[in-house]
Amino acid sequence: MSRREHKTMSAETGKRAAITIDFKAIGPFVALVVLFILGTAINEAFLSSGNLSNIFTRSSFIGIIAVGATFVITAGGIDLSVGSMAAFIAGAMIVVMNGLVQTLGTGIETVLIGIVVSILLGIGAGAVNGLVSTRGKIEAFIVTLGTMGLYRSLVTYMADGGTLSLDFAIRGTYRPVYYGDVFGIPMPVLVFLGVAIAGYVLLNMTPFGRKCFAIGSNEQVALYSAINVDRIKTLTYIIQGLCVSIATIIYVPRLGSASSSTGVLWELEAIAAVIIGGTMLKGGYGRIWGTVVGALMLTTIGNILNLTDAISNYLNGAVQGLIIIVAVFLQRGDWRRKKN
Amino acid sequence: MTDRATSPAGGGQTRKLRLSGQGICKSFGPAQVLHDISIDLYSGEVHALLGENGAGKSTLVKILAGYHQPTSGQLQLDGQPTRFATSDAGEKAGVILIHQELNLAEQLTVEENIFLGRELTRGWFLDKAAMRAETRTLLDRLQCDISPDARIRDLAVSDRQMVEIAKALSKNADILILDEPTAVLTGREVEILFGLIRRLRTQGVAILYISHKLDEIKAIADRVTVLRDGRHVATRAVADISKDDMARLMVGRDIAQMFPDRVADATTPVVLSVRDISVPGRVYNAGFDLHRGEVLGFAGIVGAGRTALMEAIIGLRVRSGGTIARNGTDISITSLSDAKKYGIAYLTKDRKGRGLLLNMDMRPNLTLLALEKFGSPLIDRKAEEAALETAIEAFDIRAANRKTRVGDFSGGNQQKLLLAKVMETDPDIVIIDEPTRGIDIGTKSQIYHFIGDLTAQGKSVILLSSEMPEMLGLSDRIAVMAAGRITGILSGDDRTEHEIMRYATGISDKNGASPL
Amino acid sequence: MKKNMKQLLGVTVALGLGLVATSAMAADKIKIGVSIPAATHGWAGGLNWHAQEAEKDLEKAYPDLDFIIVTAKNPTEQANDLEDLVSVQNIDALVILPFESDPLTIPVQQVKEAGKFITVVDRGLSQPGIEDVYVAGNNSALGAQAGEYLKKRLDGKGKIVVLRGLPTTVDDERVEAFNASIKGSDIEVLDMKYANWNRDDGYEVMQDFLSRFPKIDAVWAQDDDIALGVIEAIKQADRTDEMFVIGGGGMKDIIKRVKDGDKLTPIDVLYPPAMIATAMGITALKFETKAAVEGRYILGATTVTPENADKFYFPDSPY
Repeated sequence: MSRREHKTMSAETGKRAAITIDFKAIGPFVALVVLFILGTAINEAFLSSGNLSNIFTRSSFIGIIAVGATFVITAGGIDLSVGSMAAFIAGAMIVVMNGLVQTLGTGIETVLIGIVVSILLGIGAGAVNGLVSTRGKIEAFIVTLGTMGLYRSLVTYMADGGTLSLDFAIRGTYRPVYYGDVFGIPMPVLVFLGVAIAGYVLLNMTPFGRKCFAIGSNEQVALYSAINVDRIKTLTYIIQGLCVSIATIIYVPRLGSASSSTGVLWELEAIAAVIIGGTMLKGGYGRIWGTVVGALMLTTIGNILNLTDAISNYLNGAVQGLIIIVAVFLQRGDWRRKKN
Repeated sequence: MTDRATSPAGGGQTRKLRLSGQGICKSFGPAQVLHDISIDLYSGEVHALLGENGAGKSTLVKILAGYHQPTSGQLQLDGQPTRFATSDAGEKAGVILIHQELNLAEQLTVEENIFLGRELTRGWFLDKAAMRAETRTLLDRLQCDISPDARIRDLAVSDRQMVEIAKALSKNADILILDEPTAVLTGREVEILFGLIRRLRTQGVAILYISHKLDEIKAIADRVTVLRDGRHVATRAVADISKDDMARLMVGRDIAQMFPDRVADATTPVVLSVRDISVPGRVYNAGFDLHRGEVLGFAGIVGAGRTALMEAIIGLRVRSGGTIARNGTDISITSLSDAKKYGIAYLTKDRKGRGLLLNMDMRPNLTLLALEKFGSPLIDRKAEEAALETAIEAFDIRAANRKTRVGDFSGGNQQKLLLAKVMETDPDIVIIDEPTRGIDIGTKSQIYHFIGDLTAQGKSVILLSSEMPEMLGLSDRIAVMAAGRITGILSGDDRTEHEIMRYATGISDKNGASPL
Repeated sequence: MKKNMKQLLGVTVALGLGLVATSAMAADKIKIGVSIPAATHGWAGGLNWHAQEAEKDLEKAYPDLDFIIVTAKNPTEQANDLEDLVSVQNIDALVILPFESDPLTIPVQQVKEAGKFITVVDRGLSQPGIEDVYVAGNNSALGAQAGEYLKKRLDGKGKIVVLRGLPTTVDDERVEAFNASIKGSDIEVLDMKYANWNRDDGYEVMQDFLSRFPKIDAVWAQDDDIALGVIEAIKQADRTDEMFVIGGGGMKDIIKRVKDGDKLTPIDVLYPPAMIATAMGITALKFETKAAVEGRYILGATTVTPENADKFYFPDSPY
């Protein structure tokens, strides 16, 4: 094949590739737009700036956690412990900050130490999940199912079965982390955006991200490509832990409390957001922006159901389930067409 | 073309026309892959179907066995027009296709596999005695000594193939289609298979044997039909056609030189020196030297420990004891990254399972092993594209589309991409394990010349191969392994198939009972 | 006679299981099994805390009593617990707060048939006559009192929203009684949504109510966990002057607000998790006194106001 033929071929394929990539990537976005149109049709209050701000802010917790989950799932793993981990970290933060109020007072230092504790715990908990599953050669499903119960019990124990409440004296200092805004954009949304951008760069533009894809699509190939599979996988769990800790840092000032019911089922919502966004559950392919849209979709469905009384409360779960299945079906159907 | 009229070789009166395809055309969507192909299968005859990858062999046999329907043209069974709506219909008529990838349940026993889905019963219960008896009869007919109780996962590949054939016979197949059956077999296993095929022929079975290995066709087939680009090129009696002619018909041009011209030079310095390496249960006290610009072949039957030895050298396997020296200095390799650092690269023989990410396109595959070269912290996509451009040209990788999944590539193009991937690390020593498995003859020759070019650039190659011609055609010296030990290193005129087999089977052993 | 039987059984169990010292000692004590839901939300957390406190107090007061508390995450698990209490622990009496009435009626009946003394707390069983003592919480009263207060406070006229718990009988009883009490007035229920007795859900559901309805006079949250989420949502929307919130249960945070005269939470309706302690105490009396301990003890749903809040404020309780 001559050089010129190569050139024309790659130009053509380049053009075709651009079209398919666009088509693939907009799948979840289209679904979200459809949901927004539906929401507006049901109640015009849906599009009010207050409601939109609520949706984006609320999506932040699951969204940030789901960005982490995108790494884990792309590399072929799974983390079921994130909901309990969030509850545990929130509880630990509250205990630490309440304790520090006595000595350090109610200044910014107390909050900063709480945040550092959160980050250390997140990284530590992620490292435990990662190391036990890789070094111990135990399926991540089992390891994280175990730590899920562990963290949940720990927070219940710390709270004596009740609720841990943040000292009212410190709440004022910490409050802006959730309720504050910059140019009208709520803090949680800004943090979410920051995490998503960082996640996108890391997953799509660095050797680390490429290795996650490789491990998720075929661990053997990764091994034979001089990739330290155990290390990369452990790192994905650490990223997941870090994301949980960031989500917790903005969660705690919202209600100032943590209990055994904090973060229940967040793991499933995070995984659902990741899959709705187009990441493959069996690994090998991940998309951060899809995950972001997936998290927004989940929140939006709940929001729309709250804005109408047209659907029986008893059927909320059914509506949510159906929308999720339809969204993923549409997205996958598009994949198949492209292949043929 | 008059070749169609060629009558079956031998012409014994027991041979009668069983299955024929006439004017078969097949299109998938807009792409026509078969153009007006006719083929006749006679009882008691081995008919070879020859062609390069992509010539249409697999599509044609799938039509003959009922997996696909022809777009036009028809099948005739015993002179009557017929139509197999499904592969089941084909099986009922006695036509069975044995796939290249065997279809056996790994966890079940031989007996359970043979009767899978059509178990014999007595009342509501399985009739184990009857199944056992019939399995015995079948295996006896094949003269093979596999136990009916053996689990498939414990059997060698050749034995699995026996089971697959026994299963076909148990369905009363008298038209047997074997799709590249030797692709996964070693030399000795091929001989066992050929013995079986010859016995089946005398029993009056019509056999269609698909291959692109000319030696095999010469050895086993009575007639050969050659396909090229979906068209019928020729049908000849094998006795009347030379291997060169077959190759020419298949490739459509002369393959001037299968192997590169190389001048062996034993005086170059040693670049890799391996001493006393063992892998528990696999390799015992192996040692050898590799010279600059040399191709060192490693021969042996499957399971002799060649791959285990290489994987121990590059840090993918835990080894016990021994030393590795690079240019005279002892080095420590505990991971593939270490091997990479010392300029040693390894091409796995399992390109689909260990070599390439089949669900991705070429770019990430090409750069995966040498990612750090393409940027840190961020990957430089432009550099990747440029590398891909260069690799496509240098290794003549033919892909319709840059975005095509590598899994959809032909075996030859996958192998070239894998070669390109490994060369991205710019190694001085390349270990190549089975470089041409399942690859057509044209691409094979290309790969041989790549290997020749490497040595010309002063790089050294270790070649593991089960194919004698390439082992003899490429290697300067040949190390032979048997049962985990290097039994001899042959050079010069000792490099003959006969000598290799003597060492590979342990008849000769230079290292004697006390290794080195 | 009965005591002999018990000793005999104790010995048999000790021999059979090969447990020597501890079982033999424990066999001398009267064992009371306490089966309650696990601490999966605030109110149940309070329940667990009160059960443990009562265990400590009662075992100190009556050294011959041994309370065994088991917690379950769902009705199936609770039924299994009952079997274990009878067959392994060989209890003399059972105090149970059933997860759900229907699925646990038969299992409790079987405990009764094994000759144990039964105290049922909060939720009644589906068949009458199984229990010896019934310490009933009053879900209907909780709903009715909240409704009555609303009617009075709003002068029988206004727009309200309701946050429900989980779809269970407890929730249904509360809401039915609430609806009955505001019937005939001009109070309009704008919408009801489930908030799953969860603070986060209370916050989010209330946020959406606030986007949807420009004018809300009052919120019936029927549970203090939900109420806390609701309060934060109202504060965030800066609509604290527009409405007030009625919770339920008696969580210390809410009682404190009531005590401090917070305009947003003028009252709270008690549904005290301490009822488990009451039930355990009554059961203990059965074995410690000659008095006939039988019948129904229905706890009222007390309305907590700034005036009486002090009496119901337990800063040490987790609830």
